[in-house]
This record gives sequence, C-alpha cells and structure tokens, in this order.
Amino acid sequence: MLYNKYLKMHIKSSLEYKANTIFLATAQVLVFVAEILGVWMLFERFDTVAGWGFYDSLLMVGIVMTTFAFTECFARGYDEFPNLIKSGSLDRLLVRPVNIYYQLFGAKIEFSKFFRIILGIVISIIAIININADWNALKIIVLIATYMCGCVVIFSLMLIAAGISVYTIENLEFVNIITNGSKELAYYPLNIYNKWLTRLFTFVIPVACFNYLPLSYIIGVGNIPLWLCAISPFLGILFIIPCLIFFNISLKRYQGTGT
Amino acid sequence: MTKIIEFKDICKEFKIPEKRKGKWSTFLNFFKRKYRIINALQNVSFSIDEGDIVGYIGPNGAGKSTTIKIMSGILTPTKGECIINGYTPWKNRKEYVKNIGVVFGQRSQLWWDVPIVDSFELLKDIYKIKDSDYKETLDLLNKALNLDELLSRPLRQLSLGQKMKCELAASLLHRPKILFLDEPTIGLDAVTKLAVRDFIKYINKVWHTTIILTTHDMNDIEALTNKIILIGKGKILYNGSFDTIKNKYANEKIIQVEFAKAYENISLNGYELISHDKNVAVFKTLENTEFHTKSFINDISKNYDIIDFSVNSLSVDEILARLYKEYELQEK
Repeated sequence: MLYNKYLKMHIKSSLEYKANTIFLATAQVLVFVAEILGVWMLFERFDTVAGWGFYDSLLMVGIVMTTFAFTECFARGYDEFPNLIKSGSLDRLLVRPVNIYYQLFGAKIEFSKFFRIILGIVISIIAIININADWNALKIIVLIATYMCGCVVIFSLMLIAAGISVYTIENLEFVNIITNGSKELAYYPLNIYNKWLTRLFTFVIPVACFNYLPLSYIIGVGNIPLWLCAISPFLGILFIIPCLIFFNISLKRYQGTGT
Repeated sequence: MTKIIEFKDICKEFKIPEKRKGKWSTFLNFFKRKYRIINALQNVSFSIDEGDIVGYIGPNGAGKSTTIKIMSGILTPTKGECIINGYTPWKNRKEYVKNIGVVFGQRSQLWWDVPIVDSFELLKDIYKIKDSDYKETLDLLNKALNLDELLSRPLRQLSLGQKMKCELAASLLHRPKILFLDEPTIGLDAVTKLAVRDFIKYINKVWHTTIILTTHDMNDIEALTNKIILIGKGKILYNGSFDTIKNKYANEKIIQVEFAKAYENISLNGYELISHDKNVAVFKTLENTEFHTKSFINDISKNYDIIDFSVNSLSVDEILARLYKEYELQEK
C-alpha cells in the first residue's frame, strides 16, 4: 500500500535526525509532567471541582492528550498546509495521480508526537481504572467513540486552519488560539467554565462531545439527558462535514488563484 | 503530425490585493481589501505537435509559469479551452497527470534526507509502475544520466547538477508522453548543461516525448529546438521557427576595430559607433544595410590608421534582447 511507503520514508527521514527526535520527545515528556502536576495540584486543594473528581479530570487529560497527539502525528500534512503552499509543495502534490487528501496524510508524519500518544494512553488507562463507573458494553462503545470523536474534531479544526491559509497565506494566530485553546480548556470537564465558554465549545466547536458529555454518561451524573450524552460523540463527528466542504472550496480557490 | 496540445483563447486573471498606505493601513487592510486585476494571460492560443521540443520564452513575469501551471493541471484558467492528450487538465486531474512529467527547476520533488532510489521507489508506487517496466526505465535513465553512484545518496548531499539529473530521471520514471521543464538548466555548470541538453534530446528521440521547456538561456533553445513560442505581457507574440527570427537579424554585424594610436573623436559614415575606448572602437551596421568588408576597410583607413578588426554577428542573447525591445517588453 502506498501509505506504508510514505510511513517508511518518514521513518527513514527521522532516523537521519536521531538527536533532534530524542530532544523533541524529551521536551514533550517534560511538558507532560508539568501538565499532570497542574491538574494534580488543583485537586490537592479542592477534592472536587464542580462535582468532578481528580480521576474524572485525569480521563479528560488522557483523552485530549491521546487524540491531539494522534492527529498531530498522522495528519501533520494538514497542519503544515500553509507551508506546503508557501514552498510550492502543494503544486507538486497536484501533479501526482493520487487523491490529494490521501497525499496530504502522507506528506508529513511527526514521530516526535509518538511519545505523547503512549503517555496519553497510559494516563487514560490509569483514569479509567480509578473512575467511579459501572462499566458495560455500551459504555465501552461510547468511550471508544469519544476517542474517535476527539481525533475527528481536531482534524476538522486543522482543515479549517488549512482552508483559511489559502486566503491569507500567513499562518493566522487566532486559528492557533482555537486549536490550542480548546486543548488547554479540555483538560478539565468543560462545564466548570463560564456558561458562554461552555456553549461555544459545545455548539460551535464540539469539544464537549469528547469531554464532559460522554463522561457524564459513563459516570451517570449531571442534569443533561443521559441518552443525549451517550450519542454526543457520534454527533461531534458530524462536525467534519462542514469543515471538509470548506476545505474543498478553499482548495478549488487555490487552483483558481495560485500564488 | 497529430496535435497533442491545443490552447484556445486561454485567459487568466489574478486578483492582487492592493496595499493601503498610512497609519491605519494594516488595520484597514484586514477588514476591507482593495483588489487590482492582473491579466496574466490574454487570449493565448497555440498548438504543439506530438514529438516536438518547443521552447517557451519570454521575460520574467510574462506568464510562462502560469501557462505551465495551467498545462500541468495545477491552475484553472478564467476562460478558454485547453485539450492536452485528449484531456482538459484541470477537469480530469488524476487521469490526466498520469501522462505528464513536470520539473520545476528550483523546487525538488525528491526527499531531502533519504537516498534518491527510495524517492524513486515511492514514485513507482504513486504511478503504479510495473516492476519490469520500472527496471527497464531506470536502467535506461541510469545509462543516459550516469546516476549509478548518486542513487544511494540522499538529496542533501548532491550538487546542483546532480540534483537536476535526478529530478529529470524522477519526472520520467512513468514514461510520460509530455514533459514540462521549467528552467531545467538554471545555475548549472557548462558540462552539466551540455549533459542535460543531450539527455533531453535523447529522451525525445527514444520515447518520442513531447517536451515544452521554459528557459532564459538561449543556447538551450538553439541546441534543443527550432520551435519557439514567445510570450510577453500575457500575449503570444511569436510562434514559429527560431531560424526565421535569427535570419531577420543576420545582416546586422558588430565590428571591432583596433587603431595604431588613440583618437579623440571617431565617426564613420554609414555605421553607428557603439563604444570607444582609447584605441579600440566598436561599430554597428545601420538597419537595412549590408556589410561589405572591402568598402569598410576603404572607408575607415581613409581617416584612421588601423591595425586589426573583427566582424561578429549578433549572439542569440542579443537577438532575444532585440526581440524583447521590439515588442517593448523590456522593463524601463
């Protein structure tokens, strides 16, 4: 398969820069320790925050970390889309007889994020064992859907950022605020924040769909109907549809204007 | 001869955001931009026969790259029709690009950090080339370009000339019917330039590949092709054989004369003095006059004591400069 070839090429490339990859991975471990310490210190002072306990929040950290790292690792080509335009690499992709979406997945794979995926999974497992939930098959399905929803929503945000870059060429900071901002916020169950912030990250950008909504269902708390919480990750996945349409329009526009 | 490329009334407009000046310019630009329309191509029509090598020339900013991008399916024109190899490039992109190869002189398609041969193998998968075909093609390219020792090295270790050889090979692995070369000899040394030219001719001969190249090096044109398309300010100015243009300026001669001593003022009836430094002067024949050696010597030795002189025709570069000037393409 073509993707395996891309994967092999990227592994070979990163092996050329072993020291660099190791430094990057080390830096990410340090960031990880700081992040976990932050959550831990908060719950050291207050046993619960808005009804959520330490392990509930830890599960949020696990989900965010795993899904962000996974998407940043494997969809790096979309993340780097502005650079592909600037360097002319996009033109290169367009003269190849392969679907452009496929090629963008192959364009860049960021292995330094691999560590974070593993750390995210470890954190998730610790949290899952310790949270107060009666596990059953349905809950496991919702949990898996939550992780999928996370990857899809983050990928959708990348599509929006990539699409905008066609119009501006520059990498706009406010797009980073949305992606990184939602990452920081999602370390805690979102409903602990201000009402408007919660609504923004539920209805406009469906971060809540891989955050406190499915968690409410799994633990069985909260005042939102549980069935709604259960299907929330599936609804969140639908966010990709408008984002794909937007990206597609932008790509067409790129072919109309060039640079 | 069958026509493989047909361009009909292709127009391409670009909207360029206009910068405001003044204190609040950045702020205002963010909200409302003014646009200026640039006509990169205006009713460009031409056709190219299968198996031809065509030089696509013009000064910087004439619309060469835009044309190449439209022909390779990257850009969609504002207006017009274009049929290449039976396809409209921007409509059936995936099908169409299987049969073309593109080399952008200053951007690589090879991977920076992995051996060249790995990049080639990736292209083999991208174009779904059969094992046997791939081997045969690589063998042929290898022989023609001497790639042997380069293949195991990563791109970053190669010189500019070696890179260009690998780029050419990479764009030909799938044996395209049409090859677009955007400034293939830019920055190359003399020996590599010759090798690249020979290779282009060779590929054209063995595979009957149609080749369109843009270049600023007129020696490329002279060595490779007899057909040129001259574009300027988005319009086709000339489409035909290069010899016709060369013959047009064949009568013009440059005469350099060396005198026995330094003269203050030099002038000669029927010739234009181009430069004069101590005892060396350079003349040019006037338009529509033929040069006769005998009458020139007679005329000049009447008033001056000459030691030596040489007569030269215009170089290809000078012809092109003249052509640009004639069409008022030169930036002032």
